Amino acid sequence: MKSKSIVVIVTVFVLASMMLSACASATPVATEAPTAAATTAAATVAATAAPTTAASNPDTIIIGTTDKIASLDPADAYAVHDWEVIKNISNGLLAWKPGTTDIEADLATDLGTVSADGLTYTFTLKDGIKFGDGTPLTATIYAAQLNRLLTIGPKCPNDVADSLAVPFVKSITAPDDKTIVFVLTTPIAYFRNLLATAPFVAADPNIFKADACTLFPTAPIYGTGPWFVSQFNADEQMVLEPNPNYTGKYKPQVKQIIIRFYSDANTLALAVQSGEIDIAWRMLSTDQITQLTGVKGVKIGTISGGSIRFLTINRTMKPTDDPNVVKAIASSIDRNEIADTVFGGKVTPLFSMVPPGFLGATDAFDKMYASPDLAAAKKFLEASGYSATKPVKLTIYYPPEHYGATTAAWMQIIKKQLEATGEIQVTLQAQEWSTYIPALTGGKSYNVGVMGWFFDYPDPSNYLDPFIYNGGMGNNITAAVKGSTTGKPINDTAKQLVALLQKADIEQDNTKRVDEYAKAQDLYADLAGNIPLFFEAEHVVYRDNISGSASYATPDTLNIGSNIVFNYSLLSKSK
Amino acid sequence: MPPITLLALIIGIPSILLLAYVFIRGSTGLRRYILTRIVLTLPMVFILGTLVFFILRVLPGDPVSSALGPKGTPEMIASVRTQLGLNDPLIVQYGRFLWQMVTLKFGNSLVGGHRPIIAEMSERFPATLELIIPASVLALIIGIFGGTLAASKRKKVTDYIFRIYAVVIYSLPIFWLGLILQLFFGVKLGWLPISGRIDPIIGTTLVTHTNIYFIDSLITGNWPAFLSVLQHLVLPTITLGLIQSGLFVRITRANVIETMQMDYIAAARARGIREKVLIYGHALKNAMIPVITLIGLQVAILLAGAVLTESVFSWPGMGSYLVERISARDYNAVQSVITVFAMLVALISLAVDVIYSLVDPRVRY
Repeated sequence: MKSKSIVVIVTVFVLASMMLSACASATPVATEAPTAAATTAAATVAATAAPTTAASNPDTIIIGTTDKIASLDPADAYAVHDWEVIKNISNGLLAWKPGTTDIEADLATDLGTVSADGLTYTFTLKDGIKFGDGTPLTATIYAAQLNRLLTIGPKCPNDVADSLAVPFVKSITAPDDKTIVFVLTTPIAYFRNLLATAPFVAADPNIFKADACTLFPTAPIYGTGPWFVSQFNADEQMVLEPNPNYTGKYKPQVKQIIIRFYSDANTLALAVQSGEIDIAWRMLSTDQITQLTGVKGVKIGTISGGSIRFLTINRTMKPTDDPNVVKAIASSIDRNEIADTVFGGKVTPLFSMVPPGFLGATDAFDKMYASPDLAAAKKFLEASGYSATKPVKLTIYYPPEHYGATTAAWMQIIKKQLEATGEIQVTLQAQEWSTYIPALTGGKSYNVGVMGWFFDYPDPSNYLDPFIYNGGMGNNITAAVKGSTTGKPINDTAKQLVALLQKADIEQDNTKRVDEYAKAQDLYADLAGNIPLFFEAEHVVYRDNISGSASYATPDTLNIGSNIVFNYSLLSKSK
Repeated sequence: MPPITLLALIIGIPSILLLAYVFIRGSTGLRRYILTRIVLTLPMVFILGTLVFFILRVLPGDPVSSALGPKGTPEMIASVRTQLGLNDPLIVQYGRFLWQMVTLKFGNSLVGGHRPIIAEMSERFPATLELIIPASVLALIIGIFGGTLAASKRKKVTDYIFRIYAVVIYSLPIFWLGLILQLFFGVKLGWLPISGRIDPIIGTTLVTHTNIYFIDSLITGNWPAFLSVLQHLVLPTITLGLIQSGLFVRITRANVIETMQMDYIAAARARGIREKVLIYGHALKNAMIPVITLIGLQVAILLAGAVLTESVFSWPGMGSYLVERISARDYNAVQSVITVFAMLVALISLAVDVIYSLVDPRVRY
């Protein structure tokens, strides 16, 4: 090749690139113009530019997570981390007290009043509430935004409205600028808990318009909460800064929160270990928690979370339509072996679909089956004509990654435990999530599958109703009926259970609810459409210069309690 | 101007100028060849896009059920499928897909934030370029010089060292090498960052134009950002570059040895030309054709294939994007990305063929 040609080509390339770069608009495109807080913080870091100094900046707290944002529209979002961000930039009439599942007034002056028939809830707004962009919040605006949840919500892709609003709320009105009135379709005991969830926050009308779902608004994203989103790059990081118009009691303690998105939990663990980030939150495996235990400068907070794992048994498919087969499975499971062998004791055996710590939780499965009890399992099987030479054959399906990389390991243990009866033959079948979940919940393809559940609101109804009503997510304890809330029960026990749950749903007296849920859990164990296995704790790992607020519950877990609400305003950082 | 457009212009305009230069200065055969290749690219992309479109729909699984999870009731799933156009007849969906390809608009993602795919690619593609370019340069430097050195010291200690290096480094699992580098330089020594493209705080001050942070920090004169970008590039570049370099060492060594046995080298040696000049001035250039082929192939693979490096270093590039979207059955994103890749691979292959003729005048089209 002629060297002259090379020189010409290279020159053309370089000049063209330089010209285009120079012509590029100076207006920020993918990220927004840096704010004053960002510039100050960056200057502090730059002054001591070293690779791992980011987390040493006292004005900024960096939270790493493997969660990704799917939607920031309160009328649409239905993921744990989306709700976390929404609840930090906006707030609702009611909220859970930090670290607890107790309800407190937030934008409302008090917990509101409820009519004698339990159908009408009335709330009064506090004075002087404004959105971050200066727009005052009136009851009329709030009601209009909540009605947006009922109207536009069901047309949004994550469709939280059809789960948490439309079935319960008939109308929302604002008779004056201070009062908001909810009329329900049916009286529900946990309505105040629903109001504390993200879909019911006050969404800024200038950002979340009445006629469209706005999943990814352009920053700045304001609400009435303590923070606003000043920058957002979906795959890298989100920057939050204090809302200048916030008037509530949870005032931010630092100038900036950066949420850094990680694609790999192992890298997240290393990042908090090296000090690159201040906090690693959610989805760290038990192995990673063990690896971080005892590391200098790192603290681990364990939150007794509400994330449960269980088997879903299809009660209308052969052979699990036979109650004896189902009871044999329930009698064979040794939950302690799973917890100890696979998780090193870092998960807790679960004996009811309602995990301990929630209203009315019992040990119904332990009481009924005292598993592992292989003799009882054999008895059940033999009553249905099964034997060592004529074993019951089961295929258990599971998603290999969705519930963590350890799923295959504990599925193997379950297989071993069931086969220890000598009368059950198990085939394990891994299936990719996108194929798996519609097949399982559809209730027509799988005999037995694995499922996980995380509550929307901390109430026993959220752990029981979805697994009974309208097909019970694949166990077919009821047959789904269009237009019916509950569906058609498959037998008398299911009928009793549905009636009991419906009663507990509307019961306003918690003492009576506890009693009703205790009975419901017994019936649930008898039907065994789901067999609870264990519940997982959530872990928050943080550097030792980060602390939660001692004024509220559970400061050791950065005030994240069983409500799994992470209030960034309670975080502080020492130098 | 969106970053992806700007980036396309920055890469595209010089490429067109290069092609135009070669087209004007090249032989008639070369011109015909370039034209034929460009014309053939269109049906190739069309066939590939069509295949991907139908294969995705034949695969089990559904983007809506996958995204909604167990909380998605059959009514919710049906309603969302209708909103996303997934209940339309297949032929209507196919027509929409073709129109999106022709207009290069690609539509919206079916999962996650349902954002425009062009916006997602605007963020991901520059990140991949920023990673694979320095990694490929590193691999080439080590590969070409290491391979040539090994060839020139054939059957001596240096040769054995490079041969062992090539085999060992190419056999190492990339995630393992990445992890070891992270643990040593990031966690133990604290010298280098272990994840991301830029320091989170400094990143808040960076105004982006191309989304290639190296370029953005340079053209905006943001020196702390520039330094931070360089620091963040070190470990992923070394990880990816070292793994690739093994292949280049072996190919270069083998080809230099073969060239050194040719008659014209023997003749040059007989004329008393020094061994170094023989190797670096005469043999290396002629041994480069297979290396250039390999560069073309490697870059094409890396555009979509640096998945593990991206995952280990939380580098938000195209590889991890494609894997995420395949598992979520995001038809729109997958078929768009594969179509874009097909076009890029076609472009790179054409560039490699053109470069052959520039590097070796004996190559005729």
